[in-house]
Amino acid sequence: MPAPAGDRGRAVIAVDCSAWSTALGDLHAEGFVYLDFLTGVDRIDSIEIVARVVDPSTLEGRIVATRVTGGSVASIASLFPAAGWHERETAEMFGIAFDGHPDPRPLLLHAQSSRPPLLKSTVLAARAVSAWPGGVEIVRRSQRPAGVPDDWLKPR
Amino acid sequence: MTPHGVIALIPAACTSCMLCVRECPSWCITLDSHTESIDEPGARRPRTVSVLDGFTIDYGLCMYCGICVDVCPFDALEWLGQHDYPEADRSALVHDLDRLSAWLD
Repeated sequence: MPAPAGDRGRAVIAVDCSAWSTALGDLHAEGFVYLDFLTGVDRIDSIEIVARVVDPSTLEGRIVATRVTGGSVASIASLFPAAGWHERETAEMFGIAFDGHPDPRPLLLHAQSSRPPLLKSTVLAARAVSAWPGGVEIVRRSQRPAGVPDDWLKPR
Repeated sequence: MTPHGVIALIPAACTSCMLCVRECPSWCITLDSHTESIDEPGARRPRTVSVLDGFTIDYGLCMYCGICVDVCPFDALEWLGQHDYPEADRSALVHDLDRLSAWLD
């Protein structure tokens, strides 16, 4: 598939979740055989899975993305061996399953009992207990317009 | 391309608007100030100025994203190229007003 026009390599090709492995398979067949990265973004209503593949002979890249709402998406690890580790990390960080992954063990995290850390709904404990420095009220705004005396509402 | 090392403060330019404190994603900046009234001869009313009492950046939390430098409307924060300020104690990585303004002396 051709690069989106005028994209400077950064435009994202959006595909349906069900067409994920087909799209990556097509790109692989076109020569984009090197996986740069595969990761996720929590878009609140869905998890966006983003991957960038590169053609090593031209160093051209394509960024593909899809939205996952059903909790799982096809694994591309059989086509792009590097995706093996990228998908394992994305799975534990966002709570997504990659169907057909040859080795779906956690990559970096120990206990699966804690919530996926990169979901926006997972509260960072240190953030929850510390006071936001921006909440300090620096009282410098006058509560009254210029020239109005303090007792303007009181009867004289 | 500006050198991304330590972030320095120009106290004379700071108006205590708190934008850097609020926009910092690491919550690593704190700011203390008070206001003073200055009588201007011939003016209808006194002029109010903000006086900066304290400004700290915790370089143990800072991720050098530069949002504070970008957002300051008065260019009071500046990138410098210095990287050499190691400490044996994490609390010593909290740079106060004097230390932050000394970079530009």
